Amino acid sequence: MIKTDPPGTPTKTETPAEGNLANAKEPSAPGKEPSAPGKEPSLIASYRACADRYDEMCSAPGVPRAHWQPLFDSLNASTARELNARISAAERHLRDSGVTYNVYDDPEGNDRQWEMDMLPMLIAPDEWRVIETGIAQRARLFNAILADLYGPQTLLKDGLVPSSLVLGHSGFLRNAHGMKLPGEIHLHLYAADLTRSPDGQWWVIADRTQAPSGAGYALENRLIVSQVFPELFRSQNVRHLAQHFATMRDALMYYAPKGDGAPLAVVLTPGPYNETYFEHALIARYLGFRLVEGGDLTVADNKVWLKTIEGPRRVHTIIRRQDDAYCDPLELRADSTLGVGGLMECIRRGNVLVANPPGSGVLEGGALLGYLPRLCEHLLDEALALPSIATWWCGEPVALQSALAQHERLVFKPADPGYPFEPVFGHKLSPQRLAQLRQQIASHPERFVAQELVDVSEAPVLAGRAQQHSFQSRGIGLRVHASIAPSANYVVMPGGLTRVATDADSRIVSMQRGGSSKDTWVLAEGPLDTQFTLLRSTLRSADLVASNGAIASRVAENEFWFGRTCERCESIARLLRAALNAVLQETEDGINNPVFAMATSWGLISEDEMNDACLLTAATMEDESRGLAANLRRLNQIAYQLRDRLSLDHWRAITSLVRDPVFNQQVTLSQCINWLDKTIVGMTTLSGFALDSMTRDTGFRFLSIGRRLERLCFLTRAISVACNEGRDSGLTWLLELCDSVLTYRSRYMAQPEWLPVMDLLIRDPSNPRSVMFQVKGIHDYLGRIEQRHGPCGRELLLPDIELLMSLDLDTEYHPDSARLMQAIDNLHNSCYALSDRLTQQFFNHPGMQNDWGSSW
Amino acid sequence: MVTALATHGAKSRRYKVVHETRYVYSAPVAQGHHFGHLTPRTTPWQQVLDHKLAFEPQPNEVADLDDYFGNHSVRFLINRPHEVMQVCASSTIDVQEQNLDTTLARAPWESALCASFYEVEPLSVAEMRLPSQHVELLPETRHYAHQFFRPERPWLDALLDLTLHIRKDFVYDPKATTVSTPISEVFENKRGVCQDFAHLMLSCLRSLNLPARYVSGYILNEPPPGSEKLLGADASHAWIESWLPGVGWVGFDPTNGKLANHEFITMAWGRDFMDVTPLRGVVLGGGAQKLEVKVSVTRI
Repeated sequence: MIKTDPPGTPTKTETPAEGNLANAKEPSAPGKEPSAPGKEPSLIASYRACADRYDEMCSAPGVPRAHWQPLFDSLNASTARELNARISAAERHLRDSGVTYNVYDDPEGNDRQWEMDMLPMLIAPDEWRVIETGIAQRARLFNAILADLYGPQTLLKDGLVPSSLVLGHSGFLRNAHGMKLPGEIHLHLYAADLTRSPDGQWWVIADRTQAPSGAGYALENRLIVSQVFPELFRSQNVRHLAQHFATMRDALMYYAPKGDGAPLAVVLTPGPYNETYFEHALIARYLGFRLVEGGDLTVADNKVWLKTIEGPRRVHTIIRRQDDAYCDPLELRADSTLGVGGLMECIRRGNVLVANPPGSGVLEGGALLGYLPRLCEHLLDEALALPSIATWWCGEPVALQSALAQHERLVFKPADPGYPFEPVFGHKLSPQRLAQLRQQIASHPERFVAQELVDVSEAPVLAGRAQQHSFQSRGIGLRVHASIAPSANYVVMPGGLTRVATDADSRIVSMQRGGSSKDTWVLAEGPLDTQFTLLRSTLRSADLVASNGAIASRVAENEFWFGRTCERCESIARLLRAALNAVLQETEDGINNPVFAMATSWGLISEDEMNDACLLTAATMEDESRGLAANLRRLNQIAYQLRDRLSLDHWRAITSLVRDPVFNQQVTLSQCINWLDKTIVGMTTLSGFALDSMTRDTGFRFLSIGRRLERLCFLTRAISVACNEGRDSGLTWLLELCDSVLTYRSRYMAQPEWLPVMDLLIRDPSNPRSVMFQVKGIHDYLGRIEQRHGPCGRELLLPDIELLMSLDLDTEYHPDSARLMQAIDNLHNSCYALSDRLTQQFFNHPGMQNDWGSSW
Repeated sequence: MVTALATHGAKSRRYKVVHETRYVYSAPVAQGHHFGHLTPRTTPWQQVLDHKLAFEPQPNEVADLDDYFGNHSVRFLINRPHEVMQVCASSTIDVQEQNLDTTLARAPWESALCASFYEVEPLSVAEMRLPSQHVELLPETRHYAHQFFRPERPWLDALLDLTLHIRKDFVYDPKATTVSTPISEVFENKRGVCQDFAHLMLSCLRSLNLPARYVSGYILNEPPPGSEKLLGADASHAWIESWLPGVGWVGFDPTNGKLANHEFITMAWGRDFMDVTPLRGVVLGGGAQKLEVKVSVTRI
């Protein structure tokens, strides 16, 4: 597929270094000149590396390094148009799959899209071996250090590490001392941030030991980039990531304590508002672990249990994604709502594997970096393979003097990640600011480190807006991940997250600061075993997860509300559409049309302000809390919580609605009707997905009950309004609201009349919009749930439906019948009663715990 | 000054301590998980003859555990609905007067400093020189402390001076602060309770790089006839201990401006209040909660 240019493509060479730097920041010329298809210049030809940095792609201007050659050639052969097409496809994928990275305090809300650059970062095999060895060694070293600090503490007692470095670090958790850890492993997951200096040497600038993030994003980036460059990806022998995750999963299960049923592993997330929530869900799905929040877990008998609607299930392994201090509100930060009270005690007793155990954060911040060579010799009897960037811990007086003496070359950072201090760059300091910094450090020197600034290496990125792309050089950093293996060795993921600086001269690469990322291709020397996927065929029957596996209470609650909110969106959209149509047709009923009464009764418009502007607002504006937009937003939030259970298609259908251009905008009448049509189609699609692609498990039942309960609620209200207000206005509007116009016409070929309409909407068990249909469905689903969980409110709707069915067809199915009104209103109220009952019984976690004794 | 240290004759005192904690919740609590320090520790000068914890309602689980500092802690879980939770700790304790070697204790205060950064000392001492969550080292506390720690001044004199001055300069006022009031505010308003004064004194000492730890416990709240009732006696009390090589840890009570002698019953020690909280918990449900603490210390 990919054509390569004939050899000897002329490359422009520009020698002056300053010129290169300046050029790198300017968008380059190609693309501006119109040229005939096929003769467009390639974008890569104009790429200019920065002379005083290490360029990952080029060894000299226009000359790619050997392992970049195939990618370079391929880019050289692609026209801007071809590239643009590939990029748009990838961007669409990124948007639709809802890959996000939340930034705290982001004015744009907490749903920022993940930013990635389509061009991968390539690493040659021999170079990777160096990194791999170095990272695995560091993981071993850190494990040994943690084992000592939380055990005999000989490193401190013998003065190999200054005691104040550890004892003064907020990450040193005294409650974690003396933990009995399964397999005596203190560090299961580890990541390091690497950077490359102009001479080509890789350095570690930071170590991540609490809850390293990024491996999941690397996986997602891989998925996308391998689609953008499929041929290249296949031809290049890029090492796969799946094996790494499989090893990680095996190890976390291997070292887990045993007992109380089949091993259960979870990913414990701080929740959807955490910046890397997307990754938590992704890793959970990829590893086949449950995604849970602190509130889903509880502690009893010094063990951790997952609260499910079937009672507690013992949890054996937890990948936790909250920081150390937030893991246990009972013993650590009391204000934490993200953790599990009593978790520390379970860990100390060895009753649960937590990766990583709380307390591992003491290694973060960089204070230890200067001591690592000595510690490596001492603990492992090896030389430190991968150097750390020169770092001075200011708590050591000599180091502080030395750091201050050469402050122009250094950046001053907190040694303790818990200490709020923005990095200060030494080279830009005014005398006053320097004096201030000296004073700040002098008062608490142990809280600071000074680190050498590196002119980080650069790689080409695609910059510029759609259709006007150009390749520019940007600073990059590489995050590499390691995991413990069942063999007690550490394995390093052959790949990683390449992070890209925001602008051309930024020296700090950080996702929190809004940088972008790249996929990292580690190239293999020999042919790859490409047979491997995470879904191995070695699963035995015992590994099979039953389709009726107990679901977490919170998940059941979200399913229930997902069903209710879907239905609510659909009914509101139908109601608004009917109301707007009434406005458009300007029938003589005008404002007396009962559909307005219904809209008022449903809280969409108020009685004093019945005009079309209000209807438009209720349709698209989010601040109308009972309107369509607000409910769609709610639906989106619930779906967000359920993301590990919803397919990508579900997700796309929902996001496309809240991302619609009219969402939260003032619209015209016709725009609004289009929008309502679109929403109704979207909601119908969602219910189709549910019917067609969801496993009939307990979660599905809760979703279906939610949906039918909401529909019943709406339907009974509509019938009630029709009886009260609509006696003289015809019944077409009611049939329209209930999507039963076609059914009625095909049966009766006549204007709607009371008896047949009431029969169709109330009694007909075959009409999916009838009262009977909803009640029957709810009754059946509750029956299935009741089989496992005992009575759960099935009796609540019975008296009302019995009353309704006992009414005489000829005399009482009439708007004047008080008994009909009574039965309909009772049923409406019973909907709320049933919803409350389900909430109390299944979703309210404290309530559930009351009957633990019986559920064991 | 030295008279304060003279022995009073009585070698040992026996106390009965009853410490009641009662939480009343405005709505039922489905699950309550609690953790705390309610059992006095045994020290060379203090023996716990008898100790009992009584709970209401009876917890589903109770577990004892010695913490990092060697304090006894207790963790208990109540797994059924309750609207009141009550723990009553009763102990019988013997406390001996410590014989403070006043000659050694009058060594220059600088002898409690580290000779060099690289000197290795016991970790239990080293960590008490460092700031902690409730003990920030502030320029103002350092400045305040400096006036008492003139060069070469005897350690004991300087410490007693600081202890007395906090008593004199600060007003005991239970309404002025809460558990989370920072010491900078205590210092500025010159008001607080025993916990605040202990944290403040720790900040003074640690900002001079002197090792000092937080002690929680009790003092006699039914004083002998004719003597004045000590401040902070109706609840658990807090004071500090500072360390001097050759002497060890010596207790000072800034709330009452005196040495902590055998009128003081030690419960637990740590870097600050957070390490020795009498009782904390996580409850599900419960709404608003009301806390009542009653302490009675009698000499028997």
